[in-house]
Amino acid sequence: MDLFDIVTQQIANSLILGSFYALVALGYSMVYGIIKLLNFAHGDIYMVGAFIGFTALSLLVGFLGDGWLGISASLILSMIATGFLGVGIQRLAYRPLLSAPRLSILITAMGVSLLLFNTVMAATIGEYKAFETGLGFEGLDFGNIHISYTQIVLVLATALLMVALTLFINKTIYGKAMRAISIDMDACRLMGIDVNKVIALTFFVGSALAAAAGVMAGVYYGSIHFFMGFIIGLKAFTAAVFGGIGIIPGAMLGGLLLGTLESFGTQLSWIGTEWKDVFSFGLLILILVFKPNGLMGRTEIERM
Amino acid sequence: MKKIGLVFAAAALATCLAAGAALADIKVGIMVPTTGSEATYGKDMENAVKMAMDEINAKGGVLGQKFITTTADDGCDPQMATAAASKLTSEDVTAVVGGYCSGATLPTLKIYADAGIPFVITAANSSKFSDMNPGNAFLVNAIGSFQVETAVELFKKQGVKKLAIVHQGDGYSEDLASLTQKKWKELGNEVVAYELVNKGEQDQSALVTRLKSKNPDMVFWTAYYADGGLLIKQLRQGGYKGKITVGDGSTDAKLIQIGGKATEGVYALANPLPEFLTTGQKFIADYKAKFKTDPGPYSALTYDGMLLLADAIKRAGAVDRKAIIAALKKTDKFPGLSGPVTFTDKNLLANSNFVVLQVKDGKWSLVK
Repeated sequence: MDLFDIVTQQIANSLILGSFYALVALGYSMVYGIIKLLNFAHGDIYMVGAFIGFTALSLLVGFLGDGWLGISASLILSMIATGFLGVGIQRLAYRPLLSAPRLSILITAMGVSLLLFNTVMAATIGEYKAFETGLGFEGLDFGNIHISYTQIVLVLATALLMVALTLFINKTIYGKAMRAISIDMDACRLMGIDVNKVIALTFFVGSALAAAAGVMAGVYYGSIHFFMGFIIGLKAFTAAVFGGIGIIPGAMLGGLLLGTLESFGTQLSWIGTEWKDVFSFGLLILILVFKPNGLMGRTEIERM
Repeated sequence: MKKIGLVFAAAALATCLAAGAALADIKVGIMVPTTGSEATYGKDMENAVKMAMDEINAKGGVLGQKFITTTADDGCDPQMATAAASKLTSEDVTAVVGGYCSGATLPTLKIYADAGIPFVITAANSSKFSDMNPGNAFLVNAIGSFQVETAVELFKKQGVKKLAIVHQGDGYSEDLASLTQKKWKELGNEVVAYELVNKGEQDQSALVTRLKSKNPDMVFWTAYYADGGLLIKQLRQGGYKGKITVGDGSTDAKLIQIGGKATEGVYALANPLPEFLTTGQKFIADYKAKFKTDPGPYSALTYDGMLLLADAIKRAGAVDRKAIIAALKKTDKFPGLSGPVTFTDKNLLANSNFVVLQVKDGKWSLVK
């Protein structure tokens, strides 16, 4: 493989990795944008989404097969179920604390994270589950570069979800309500917007996107386990901060850039792939120190 | 009168039984974990000893004497193990068979040595036994470093020129990786990549690209199955066409499940599991009939250990501990299920008993 091959292959790698980060980062960003909560349970929602998709696929496999049909059906089922899980968590754990200090709700989020994590650990006895699908490794070959059809489909699916989300936020009345609440919640209440309903909807969409990423990761990597949400949760948080937390296109850009940075950073011959996480979290610190509002963030003026 | 006669008869019978016990039974201690996280393996081993014992006794025993056993639980814990060893010593056993966890088995060596009791260790295989063996312990399982030799032999046979080794930085996988690298280089071959991946990391695409750029014809994964399955899958997804071998920590049905079709053709190094041994089929059938459960990974070795002990007693010609130890030392190609048993001067198994497996049609099968 010459340099050109390596660069092209790494772009393909970073696209897929970045897609997963971006999907999870979107949920982080949306929730932060609307209620200023860093939802630390978001990584675990991604993990639960993967397990729901796994269960759905094992139930559906007899009817729809383990190809793309079965996978798509499980993906959609998992997005809906996990979306409702997100709404339920919001209703029970976050809504009662909406007017409490931010710290209380942040600690509650950590509690929810531990609850989900340990529930799945107990339910699976801590075992790895093999996410078996009928997808093969066929793909496009350009010399030494190999890009499988699975990778292409997953990246396209992510792109589709992002376009749909952008349209939803910018073109629908609910999207408008979300944007309005993120600017001034009290004013929205005064204008007759059902704030609680819109917040619930935000959690639904954010959790559904995380579930989509979870199921896709399961399909792509082939195994899922109860701690798969932890690292990706932190990485998605990094991506969201990188792009500018609370800003939807920022989360997408942040996710893709983080994927690129990790893929290329670890190709330097004097650095091993075990340094991947150091790159991500080193970046997080640099961003927080030098550009805390992220790449696409505006400097906010604190209202007194 | 009648009463006295009865008492007399009873006393005579008791004397007879007692004398019979002293003469006719050879007491063997079984030291395995029967509680705690490793209890399943311990139970397998206990069953295997009893199965071997029953077979020997059915054929009339050894030197006209039959075997009986007593089990002590080492809990896979050094403190419990020393207590178990003291218990067996106080029960005056002729020999001990067992030893699953290396960490729990090592501290008992001295206790048995002080009492002069021969100890046939059938599962534990830390390379520390080489230095810490006082002379009365015999290892029927090959110590870990033998795996390297089996691996290198396999690579040579496969015509490997450029080897890539991937480990996870823990004691077990790094040891295997570094020993293999050393050995492979000593033989004048090339290690083109020596890589470390983080535990639990799902995305290994960066590593795959890195490996591909070095163009190896064999990738050797030395860590466990869960992450191994991921790596194999992503290697194939990334278009790697060369061969893949995994160490014994990955030789598990789950590797095939996780890696799916990508694992087809993957080589693996393994302890001699009964299902892969030609002599193992009868053993499995007998075991299942007797205990209504699968034999587990160490029962064949333990079965061998008990038969070896009986053989040594026969060769010693007396139920005398010193003579038994001497006879065990002289063991020459004892035909065990898991392969011939001969000991080195340190009482370790002389030949690697690791076998090479390959995935065929989604199952492990033995490479001849």
